[in-house]
Amino acid sequence: MNAWIVILAAGSGSYLFRLSMIILTGRITLPPYLERASGLVAPAAFAALAAAGVATACIGLGATQAAAPLAAVAAAVIAVLRTGSSYAAILVGMPALWITTSLLSS
Amino acid sequence: MISLHAHRRDIAAGARAMAPWLAGVVPFGLVIGVSAARADVPTWAGWLTGPLIYAGSAQAATIQMLDAGAAPVAVVAAALIINIRLIFYSATMARHWRGTPWWWRLVAAYLLIDPSFAVGLDGYRRLADRGRAHAHYFGGAVLLWVSWLAAIGAGATAGAGLPAWLHLEFVIPLFLVGETVPKLANPALRRAIFAAATVALLALSAPLHLGVTLAIAAGISAGLTARPDGPAQATHPLQQTTEVPR
Repeated sequence: MNAWIVILAAGSGSYLFRLSMIILTGRITLPPYLERASGLVAPAAFAALAAAGVATACIGLGATQAAAPLAAVAAAVIAVLRTGSSYAAILVGMPALWITTSLLSS
Repeated sequence: MISLHAHRRDIAAGARAMAPWLAGVVPFGLVIGVSAARADVPTWAGWLTGPLIYAGSAQAATIQMLDAGAAPVAVVAAALIINIRLIFYSATMARHWRGTPWWWRLVAAYLLIDPSFAVGLDGYRRLADRGRAHAHYFGGAVLLWVSWLAAIGAGATAGAGLPAWLHLEFVIPLFLVGETVPKLANPALRRAIFAAATVALLALSAPLHLGVTLAIAAGISAGLTARPDGPAQATHPLQQTTEVPR
């Protein structure tokens, strides 16, 4: 039940953001620092979510296999740096995860 | 306003202008769908983040945080912080939509997200006739919306049938790593990324799973400390991310 309420609340808030300046046009001027901050949101959010996700995966897999997600992330970072493509992280990282998980459990 | 018959060429032109964006949109939608299927939330609820939130990174954050058992207020706060850029898109489009019927503004605002903003703005800059420019925006935005929801649906369907050993729940963290690494070249973004990642790790056991929200705030604050007039300056939100409906 909570999930539905959360999604509905986040959706309603996002729609209000979309409508906000269309309704308030001419009445409010946004400060420049807020525009600057807006450009930082996505990278900060992605980094926070990635760090939390990887750490949670390491904890979830237990002590013996915790190295697998870290190896996958390392492979993903190298792949992105080499290719310049964001999707290389998944294309290289997932096989790296499967291989290291399999090696560590054998 | 728009006539589907009279403006069909502009609607088609808008859809064509959107087509290149779909190369990034569809894989991201698949990733969101797969993560929705694997997360500890009803798959339908995960899919509904598409039509309701309609912003990929906020959807990913919502699904991931719900899966981790975060407090509802923390999830909503994180999603809204991520979507704050929509206020700037709204401010930019407001001048083009002034004087249009309310129904148009309500629909057009709902469809407003990074790719539709970019394609639409291009139309408003090039086309002197506002009706034609609206049609251009509409054509691109509707194609994006349909493609996004279809991609999430396909990902959710495929993801639900795949074996657990594939650890598909790790697709989203890897995708986020892939999106983050190229941004390390920019000093302000680098500062924001390291601060956010550090705080996220330190606050992993924060009450109510507020760690991610705190980390985003810390990252933004750290990024803002970079020189505003130098190369570290964050430019337009669209240039910071390949954000596809994110």
